[in-house]
Amino acid sequence: MRAQALKGHLDGMLLAALEDGPRHGYAVMEALRAGSGGQFDLPTGTIYPALRRLERAGLVHTRWSEEGGRRRRMYELTPAGRRMLDDERNAWQEFSTAVTALLGPQPRAVTS
Amino acid sequence: MTRPPGAAPAGLPGTADLPGTADLPGTADLPGTAEQVIGSYLTEVARGLIGPARARRDILAELGAGLADATDAYRSDGLAPDQAARAALAEFGRPEQVANGFRAELTAAQARRTALALLRTGPLVGLLWLGAALASRIGAQLVSPWHWAGMPASARLVTHLAGFAFAIAIGSALVTVAATGPLTRWLPTSLPGRPRWLGAGSAASAAIAAVAASGTAAIDIALLALLATQAARTPGRLAVLPVAVAAGASLTRLTLTTRAARKCLTTSAACLSSPAGA
Repeated sequence: MRAQALKGHLDGMLLAALEDGPRHGYAVMEALRAGSGGQFDLPTGTIYPALRRLERAGLVHTRWSEEGGRRRRMYELTPAGRRMLDDERNAWQEFSTAVTALLGPQPRAVTS
Repeated sequence: MTRPPGAAPAGLPGTADLPGTADLPGTADLPGTAEQVIGSYLTEVARGLIGPARARRDILAELGAGLADATDAYRSDGLAPDQAARAALAEFGRPEQVANGFRAELTAAQARRTALALLRTGPLVGLLWLGAALASRIGAQLVSPWHWAGMPASARLVTHLAGFAFAIAIGSALVTVAATGPLTRWLPTSLPGRPRWLGAGSAASAAIAAVAASGTAAIDIALLALLATQAARTPGRLAVLPVAVAAGASLTRLTLTTRAARKCLTTSAACLSSPAGA
């Protein structure tokens, strides 16, 4: 998938990956990869600064949790993060409906 | 690799100024070869990180745990430990690329930390000087210094400059806090070149934080200069202990603010010079 197009929607996709509950950075990456059928192929290293930015924006909050001897930073949506996810989702729906109408599958050619 | 608790960090020389880094990256439970591979990668990343020590330490710990998770995933696919670790590194990206991705965030963290520290300590230093003035029974004259009868013209100028520096410092500290916090969520995701805008915003915030720190340094210099004038004119009038405490606080803050201003400018410049990250 084109990296530029993915990056444009990274924030929304990260928020969506946290919708079902708190996750750590690598679990977010795995969720994005699994959820996109392997199409999400940004370097994993780009996820972490993006999550940090969401934290600074007050859309997620973090805590350290220790499990199996590994300290991990867990990310969880804040109420503002949930609202932002709804907004992103609506905007994407509108956009994709319009693009699908224009670029979607070719209608069956009407032959005489 | 087994190492005694509290031993020197294995393979993280780039983090010598980060106390506690030895324990943080969560790779200690991996086989030695994998731990070494990840350790030297994190050293490379650490070299590219410029910003507050605590934020850098957190980033390295988080990346270490993520790399360990990725290595586990590749090992369960049947790769040998060191091959699995190398696959994990390839997945994360080149170290300088990863470090660059954090530039905007580290710069914003440096700016925010500086501005918040100034806003939090400002009232305390102010109260110490007020206490010193009251204890020396020159309170009224210092609270509204322009009414200080017989005040030398130079001292009058210094108090005006200090007032000006105070306004600049408070204003720029508040702007920094606002620009590096929740306000950033209103930068539209559809904005073209958004990472570059975020980077520029962080760089600007750090520059403004440097102005706040320099303004605070100017206030402290002014206060110490006024104290010197007062001490030269009426040395017997000063209450030694409160004045010494206030002067000590200002001297300490002066050292810290000049250092903070320099750090803010360094991170700001680094943020501008690096290619936009994620």
